[in-house]
Amino acid sequence: MSRPQSAPIRHFDADTIRRGAIACLPLLPSTMIFGAVLGVLATQRGLSLGELLFMSLTVFAGSAQFVSVDLWRETIPSVTIIVATAVINLRYVLIGASLRPVFRGRPLWVKICGMHMVADENWAVTMTQENLANPGFLLGGGIFLGIVWATGNTIGYLLGGGIPDPNVYALDFAFTAVFAALTVGMWKGRVDLLPWLAAAIGSLIGHYTLPGTWSILAGAGAGVVVAALTWREDMDDTAPKSEIAPEIAADTYGAPEGTYSTEAGK
Amino acid sequence: MMSFPDLTTFSTASVLTILGMAIVTYGMRLGGLLMADRLPQQGRWAHVLERLPGAVLISVWVPSALSAGAIGIAGAVATVITMIVVRNLFAAMVAGMVLVAAGRYFLG
Repeated sequence: MSRPQSAPIRHFDADTIRRGAIACLPLLPSTMIFGAVLGVLATQRGLSLGELLFMSLTVFAGSAQFVSVDLWRETIPSVTIIVATAVINLRYVLIGASLRPVFRGRPLWVKICGMHMVADENWAVTMTQENLANPGFLLGGGIFLGIVWATGNTIGYLLGGGIPDPNVYALDFAFTAVFAALTVGMWKGRVDLLPWLAAAIGSLIGHYTLPGTWSILAGAGAGVVVAALTWREDMDDTAPKSEIAPEIAADTYGAPEGTYSTEAGK
Repeated sequence: MMSFPDLTTFSTASVLTILGMAIVTYGMRLGGLLMADRLPQQGRWAHVLERLPGAVLISVWVPSALSAGAIGIAGAVATVITMIVVRNLFAAMVAGMVLVAAGRYFLG
C-alpha cells in the first residue's frame, strides 16, 4: 500500500485507479443484472461464453452489445452487426471529445491506453469530479465495470435463465437515476441552462422521431448548436474551473494527485 | 436445451465480427478525443466542448425517464432533488429507484 513518492510522472496512479473503481460502486447491482440478462440472451443466440466475454472486454458497450447479440444467428450477419454497433456507439465520438480535460497534457500512449475502458457510466462519474485530470480515475471505473459486466455475463450464461426481471426492482431505472444525479454535478452556472434545455428538447424530439440511440446525437447536437450560438467573448471568465485558461486549468486539475507537469507540452 | 453450456468455442466468423465491433467502437472513442485535442483551447469551441458532457448526459436519460411514464418523471425529479440536497450519488440513485419500484408496485 505504500506509495512511491519519488516517481515524478504517474499517469495511472494505483490509488487513483482504486478511487475510480470505488466511485462506480453504486452501479454494481444494475450492471451485474443487465450483464446477466445479456448472458442469458447469448445462450439463446448461440454465442459461446468465451465469445461473449471476448465481446464484453473488447467492445465494452452495453447497449450495442444487446442489439448485436440479439441480431446474432447461425450465419452471423457481420456487416449489419458492425454497422448497428457503429451507429449506436456514435455518441462515443462526443464522449471522447469531452474527455479532453481528463487527458490534458498526457502523451499519446496514455490516451491510447486510457480510452478503451470508457463506458457511459465511468465517463459520467469521472466528468463530475472536482479534479478532472486523472486518466487513472477513468480507467479504474472502467476496469471495475468491465469486471462486473463480465461476471454478470458469466452468471447469466451459466444459469441460462432465472435472472430476476430488472424492472421489478426498478434496476432498469438505476442507469436513468445515475445519469440524472450526475447531471447535477456537471452544472457550472447559468451558461449551461440554454444548452441543457436544448439538449432535453432535442433528445425528446429525436426519441419520438428517430430510431434507436439517434436521440442522444439529436440532443447533444441541439445542445452544441445552442452553446455555440450563446457564446460571448466575456463568457471566458464566468467559468473559473473551465479549461479556457490553459495554465490555470492545468495547475488546478493537476494539483492534488496529478503530479504530472504540463511543461512537457500538450 | 439442457446440454452443458458452450464455453470455449471460438468460430472465425464470430471473432472477426467482434473484432470489427471493437475496432469501430474504440476508433470512435479515441477519435473523438484526438479530434477534440485539435480544437482551440479557448473561445467559442472551448465553451462548446465544455457544455458537451452535460448535453450528452441529458440526452441519455431525459428520454428514458419520460418513456417510463409519470412514475419515471417523478423518479427523475426525486433523484435530482436528492442529489442537489445530499450531494451523494448512491443516495440520489436509491431515492429515484425506491420511488419507481414503489410506484410500479402500488400503481403498476
